[in-house]
Amino acid sequence: MSQPEFDVMLLELRAKAPRAPETLRERVQALPEPVPRGFRLRLRPALAAAAAIAVALGVGAAVVGGLGGSSSRETAREGEAKMLNALPAQAERRPRTLAPLPNTPNVPFQSELAPGSRLQHYDVSMQARVDDLSGATKRAVRTTRKLGGYVAAADYSTDRTTGDSTLDLRVPVQHVQQAIASFTELGTILSQRIALTDLQASVDRIRERVAEFRDRIAKLEAKRRTIGLTPEEQGELAGLKRNVRRLTGSQRTLVRSATYAEVQLLLTTRKVAPKHVAPGRFDRFRDNAGDILGKEAIAVLYALVVAGPFVLLAALALLAERARRRRADSRLLEETG
Amino acid sequence: MAEEHLDDVYRYLLYVTGNPHLAEDLAAETFERALRRWRRFDPRRGSPRTWLCQLARSTALDHFRAEQRRRRREESYAVEESPSEEPVFGEGLSPALETAVQSLSAAEREVVVLRIVLELDGETTASVLGIRPTAVSTRLSRALQKLQERMVDDVPA
Repeated sequence: MSQPEFDVMLLELRAKAPRAPETLRERVQALPEPVPRGFRLRLRPALAAAAAIAVALGVGAAVVGGLGGSSSRETAREGEAKMLNALPAQAERRPRTLAPLPNTPNVPFQSELAPGSRLQHYDVSMQARVDDLSGATKRAVRTTRKLGGYVAAADYSTDRTTGDSTLDLRVPVQHVQQAIASFTELGTILSQRIALTDLQASVDRIRERVAEFRDRIAKLEAKRRTIGLTPEEQGELAGLKRNVRRLTGSQRTLVRSATYAEVQLLLTTRKVAPKHVAPGRFDRFRDNAGDILGKEAIAVLYALVVAGPFVLLAALALLAERARRRRADSRLLEETG
Repeated sequence: MAEEHLDDVYRYLLYVTGNPHLAEDLAAETFERALRRWRRFDPRRGSPRTWLCQLARSTALDHFRAEQRRRRREESYAVEESPSEEPVFGEGLSPALETAVQSLSAAEREVVVLRIVLELDGETTASVLGIRPTAVSTRLSRALQKLQERMVDDVPA
């Protein structure tokens, strides 16, 4: 068959196509009107909406959980602070000591801690990071000597990359403020601790005791010169003199202790490890929400791992059934003449 | 809508069944189904014509399956309907073309009516038949080749 003949055949098929008989038209026209289309839940949009709602619920739970977790930790922290504030008595029993001041570079020495007329013992500990360890050590020693102090002990050690210098200094109490101000300029202050102990009361007690003993000694000496002493009184006099010597020695020690402040100065070239900063409210919220989202993801993953093979098998079975049905339909139509 | 697509549905069913009375019954049943399932129709997935052709195909297949079961039950299809002398596939169709179309299988006539008579495109035809467009092309090509051969055979020497 030629191409024109073939085209004519196709045109004939179209042109002579049958029309529906009138009986069919009447039957179809007699059918009732279709039900108006209303709302109908469709599978794919419904699944998409369900997935969106599930995701929104999951994220919402994470947000609510994150907020709840951070506020409960905040409450716990406040409670802990209140509990600590409620324990002042224990702190008052300790010697008058300042808390360490970490990472407070170049903090000026508190003027109210400056020595006054009372005898007080100063124990200062400072740690500073310096670039030039040798130069800083020399400057610290020079400053100490210039202020009338001395180096009680020194430990200087370096390796290829780092170095430490520990100085045990004695600085006259009246110049301790000046010394600390000078040391803070050596580098970056990493920590600083100043402990102050009042010695005046102890010295006063010793003085009173010594005065009592000396009065008694004077009375016994006067009696010895007039009527003489009994052997017991002679023993008492000797004991009183020994006590006076001992107490006077203690007093001298206390006074000397109040004369020089003990300053422990540690200079280092080491980099300080970054300090762990307590997480803020947003960080805690983020961590909590992240934890919850992670748990949800694990749960979803677990469900997928457990149910996945079954869903896959069901989908494969469905596809296989559809293919089988399609093949059967084709065969049926092929066989139908 | 029924009036607009009645001829198309009837033509399709007539080509698939090769029987005007059966095609009429199945067309009526197709429109009944369409009215019942009207709420399920999604215009985004295809035109009403495509949807009606899909319904008509489903109706025809249901009929063929039922007929197949009936034949198996009775173990023989004793009463073969004698071919009608009147033209089936179109008033005024040449007897050679009528015979050639008659000789095709239902599957072959199905693709011919969809692509040639109803002039559906390949994608829509594939959607109605539930196969790929390439498979539609192959099936149509074979059907037309067979039709040509039968036409040539019928031409008197």
